[in-house]
Amino acid sequence: MSGTPVLDLRGIDKSFGSVKVLHDVAFSAYPGEVTALVGDNGAGKTTLVKCIGGIHPPDRGEYRFEGARVRVGSPRDAAALGIEVVHQDLALCENLDIVQNLFLGRERRRGLVLDETAMEEMAHRALSGLAVRTMGSVRQPISTLSGGQRQTVAIARAVLWDSRVVVLDEPAAALGVAQTQQVLEIVRRLADNGLAVVLISHNMNDVFAVSDRIAALYLGRMVAQVRTADVTHRQVVELITSGVAGEPGPRR
Amino acid sequence: MMKAGPSQEDIRRHNLGTLLRFVHLRGPASRATLAETLGLNRSTIMALTSDLTAAGLVREELPRKPGRRAGRPSLVVRPESTRVYVLAFDVGVDRLVVARVGLGGVVLDRREASRARDAGPGELLSTLVTGARSLIRKAERDAVCVGAALGFPGTVRRTDHAVMFGPNLDIGETRLGDVLSRRLGLGVPVSVCNDANLGALAEHERGAGVGCDDLIYLHGDVGVGGGIIVGGRLLGGDDGFGGEIGHMVVNPGGLPCACGSRGCLEAEVGERTLLAHAGRAEEPGQTGRDAVRAVVDAADRGDIVAREALHRVGTWLGLGVANLVNIFNPGLIVFGGTLRDIYLGAAAQIRSVLATNALPASRERVRLRTTALADDTTLVGAAEFAFAEVLADPLQVLARLKSPEDSTV
Ligand SMILES: [Zn+2]
Repeated sequence: MSGTPVLDLRGIDKSFGSVKVLHDVAFSAYPGEVTALVGDNGAGKTTLVKCIGGIHPPDRGEYRFEGARVRVGSPRDAAALGIEVVHQDLALCENLDIVQNLFLGRERRRGLVLDETAMEEMAHRALSGLAVRTMGSVRQPISTLSGGQRQTVAIARAVLWDSRVVVLDEPAAALGVAQTQQVLEIVRRLADNGLAVVLISHNMNDVFAVSDRIAALYLGRMVAQVRTADVTHRQVVELITSGVAGEPGPRR
Repeated sequence: MMKAGPSQEDIRRHNLGTLLRFVHLRGPASRATLAETLGLNRSTIMALTSDLTAAGLVREELPRKPGRRAGRPSLVVRPESTRVYVLAFDVGVDRLVVARVGLGGVVLDRREASRARDAGPGELLSTLVTGARSLIRKAERDAVCVGAALGFPGTVRRTDHAVMFGPNLDIGETRLGDVLSRRLGLGVPVSVCNDANLGALAEHERGAGVGCDDLIYLHGDVGVGGGIIVGGRLLGGDDGFGGEIGHMVVNPGGLPCACGSRGCLEAEVGERTLLAHAGRAEEPGQTGRDAVRAVVDAADRGDIVAREALHRVGTWLGLGVANLVNIFNPGLIVFGGTLRDIYLGAAAQIRSVLATNALPASRERVRLRTTALADDTTLVGAAEFAFAEVLADPLQVLARLKSPEDSTV
């Protein structure tokens, strides 16, 4: 399960002008595991995700991928390593169908030319690998899909090209309970298939339902990275709200 | 006398079963893959494959899609799914399912019916018989039924498949398996098994637990059932009653249970209790899976009564899981039926209790998962149980079933 982290950030600092947002942050994600990133609004979760995804390169610190130091200065650099971020807005094109959305801007970047049949097949395989229930035609426009289905398409797009790390920013935020459950099961399956998954969520049930580790940010600092099996709901809430947890873990 | 080593015939039977089981569980495979995975040489694989082909259990054909490599594509061995099948019955408190499942685990056809909670055994049987008959009628002419099994929410004796205790679905003295087998004229017995035991089998063979030989399956219907797999085998106990996790006492002196005890896991986390905690026990027509889901949904929307109800149930479920983790050190715990919804809706509480009550060494690596087979866990398990005989001795079993004096039409 654990072993070497595929993604390993150390001593990350990030400021916007005079505003310091991240201070000496360490963060790791492991293959086959879901790492939940938790913290209050303004704790620095979004900035950290943007550092990981190359949107806001860190000012200082080490970015390690599979043990080696790398420079991730743009989303393109991140994608080249196999790091994908699914942002809350999902960035799907309403008027295009599922297949078009999955491959939008990707073929050229990867130097591949795929015909329509091959793309449909890949789309089909990617989606059926994720969802318990099939979604129907892969030629439906995004505008006809439910919130959960859109999330599934966005995740499928992130994992279509042998990704190694997938970061999901509040994937269940706007969903009803049935669709949230399906998305959580997808998140879990991604990790069980060997991916390193980073899940940003403020819902503690969702965090405890699928995560292996919990990383808690408090005022721009990483106050804990713990195994989910070792902590209680109360302790995680304390970490989020005060930066420290009472009882240092349950009795041993 | 010293025990003799296995005969050539024993070895051949074993290899035939192993090969057939492999393509049954893992899908079509080339001879090369089979030789490599099963550790047999190619000529043995060829001989086994031709025996199984002659018996009508597998066929060899070109892969559906040409492989990437150039040159002659290698033949794949594929189970004869439409010609060799079993009947699987899932008897739930509210829902009945019968399916015709082909070799390879394909659900070829299915019939579903809802069941009224006050319906008697006669009604139950006639629904199952009608469903099964219509499935058999639709089967291909030369198709052969190689087994049948039924999942039941109750305690079932291993020796004669008699239901000993099933408080949520009373069938009196009815011998479900015998009656079904007779009325359907199948020529094979209908095995009756505990539903959650079958669920454990299903998750182990085809679900979240593939590759994990120590797992526990927890099933929520009206009651709570369990199936424990230890070292790759279902733990049955002396009589086959093992795994009744629902009647593990988690709260001494707690809520009364249908079994006569108090504070059983089932009594503390079952459907009735959850609905009662949520103030929904008295609402007419509000029972079953949908009612449980409605509580989880309300909690998600912020309803404090529903949240409190899930919190209470989550506490007892967490305690039950902690006990199981300490005793069995499972690699995996799978939540199915209504417990899938309850796990996802109360995971923070369940895992918090686990973190405080289970031994660190055991709890650190245990994976908690929801079923990978959706609502078909029991059904898939029944099918796997029904296939067991033919997989153990493929040629003998098939020859017996195909011989005229044994087939009752
Ligand atoms: Zn009881």
